[in-house]
Amino acid sequence: MIVLAPNGEQQSLMPLNVGPSHGATHGCLRYMTALDGENIVASVGEIGYLHRGFEKMAEQGTWQQVIPYTDRLNYCSALMNNFAYCRAVEQMLGIDLPERAKVLRVIINELSRIADHFICVAAAAQDLGSTTGFFYLFDSREMIMVIWEKLTGARLTNSYGRIGGLYRDTYTGFEEDVLAVCRQVDKNLHDVHACFDRNRIFLDRTTGVGKISAERAIQWGWTGPCLRATGVASDLRKDEPYFDYETYDWDVTVGSEGDVFDRLMVRLAEAEESCKIIKQALKRLQPGPINVDDPRIRVPDHAHTYQDMESLIGRFKTVYEGIHVPAGEYYSGSEVANGELGFTLVSDGSGKPWRVKVRPPCLTQFAVFHELVEGVLLADSMATLSSLNIIAGELDR
Amino acid sequence: MSHCENRVETPVVATAEARQEFAEKVLPILESRFGAVRDEDDQWGFTVVVDGAQLRNVVLFLRDGHEYRVNMLLDVVGVDYLGFKDYTGPRFAVEYALKSVYNPSRRIRIKVRVSETDCKVPTISDLFPIANWQEREVWDQYGIVFENHPDLRRLLNHAEFQGHPLRKDYPAHKRQWLSTNDFLLPELEARLEAKGYKIISRSKEVVPDAEEYLTGSIKQ
Repeated sequence: MIVLAPNGEQQSLMPLNVGPSHGATHGCLRYMTALDGENIVASVGEIGYLHRGFEKMAEQGTWQQVIPYTDRLNYCSALMNNFAYCRAVEQMLGIDLPERAKVLRVIINELSRIADHFICVAAAAQDLGSTTGFFYLFDSREMIMVIWEKLTGARLTNSYGRIGGLYRDTYTGFEEDVLAVCRQVDKNLHDVHACFDRNRIFLDRTTGVGKISAERAIQWGWTGPCLRATGVASDLRKDEPYFDYETYDWDVTVGSEGDVFDRLMVRLAEAEESCKIIKQALKRLQPGPINVDDPRIRVPDHAHTYQDMESLIGRFKTVYEGIHVPAGEYYSGSEVANGELGFTLVSDGSGKPWRVKVRPPCLTQFAVFHELVEGVLLADSMATLSSLNIIAGELDR
Repeated sequence: MSHCENRVETPVVATAEARQEFAEKVLPILESRFGAVRDEDDQWGFTVVVDGAQLRNVVLFLRDGHEYRVNMLLDVVGVDYLGFKDYTGPRFAVEYALKSVYNPSRRIRIKVRVSETDCKVPTISDLFPIANWQEREVWDQYGIVFENHPDLRRLLNHAEFQGHPLRKDYPAHKRQWLSTNDFLLPELEARLEAKGYKIISRSKEVVPDAEEYLTGSIKQ
């Protein structure tokens, strides 16, 4: 298209469509750019290619039946989404979890966070042409996937959270596996930093690219590592602690520039902090119950069901009717790998949710993507996109 | 650096008391100035119900009031109460979840009830830019119109989608043939114009065929 630029010069711009099926669009999203040579002059985005009607389907089943849908939100850290949803419902029910369940949730949350951050940085490295960095990071991520396999029976869309507890207790050797992951993460982080920190190509491609100021990020509703990369120390694990996060010794990582480099480095540093939390949590892990002792909320185990009338009734009631969450509305936000994952729940007091609304953290980041990439090269828009860690499953629900 | 000033105020931990204190402090002001009422449905958090006409004033007051600085819009949620047990109010509600980044105990949700016949809420997309997409989503899923919204299109569903899927009278098993992408060129041109460019001519292959585009390429 021929345009008249603000400086009065006549320019020929090329509208170029990127996505939805592009190697660097990580899932399915699309943006259209107006290019002047290789420079992006203007950009607009479109989402919805992975819209599967999560919220509509959540209204069809019982409260427990929503859980498997939540792992399809951010499939890179599925279990963390489980816990965020369960926590919201548990707050409405007003129940407190047993110590072991809380510690296990913390361990699994942090392992998920490491896996999620590593995928983001690995994919960004891959998009920038660094296959070595990609494989270093996938090393420890693979070990985490093996833990998921042993723990839940699946690698990717696995679910382990239940309202009022966990699906089941851990397997023998879980603690050793987790410790081995921590050691591997330390090693991989060391390798990756050696790979990136003084790498001219990596620095040139990432520093000063896709910048956003703290004010602008807040106006656009950014949360999580992307907001922290702009210098705002906002982390729900510190600000509104849950699962006893306040009792662990760890630090919030912040960047200063809000560019691609900061976003990636904040993620790597957070993985390090997550390891710290995991090591402390493993020391606290004592044998004990993992579910609340209430047959109306958590399905009683088989041993009790076959022995005890109350448990049998509880089993039927919770499965057929669902958990009776008190009527009302509530918003609960939890810190997942990408930021604040919020659930707005509306209950009419029956066993089915009336409304489940997800606040996906990466929607806010993709909504302002056009501002980040206007003025940079087309190739840099790929680096920007992967540093935001857009997960289409969560973006489109 | 321009954002250094923000870092001076470090986040504090939100305790139950701090939340309570915020609610007690801000509720009387909202009540007297904007006619807000505390929503008893939300027994766990802090929600106020306001009239649609007062929505923008309340949001502005919370955002710009130096005392509160509720500076982040987290979510815009539509709710359909058709068939809700013992419910007699207007059919829809739009809820805005806000928080203060620097003081996490300041969380508030604002609820606006919307009747089916009127179905209108003023937009806040000029106050919080993120509301642009979030309001588009609510319009897409519920058909609630946001007045003065700059670009009220569907966000998640296809452009040729019929109806509003999250309404309670839309059956979950209903199927529709859908095949088009959003036609992004008009939006791109609007974006260019907003940046001070003037479109002189477009290439002819990118001029949309409106009929083909809106009916989709797959025919039943």
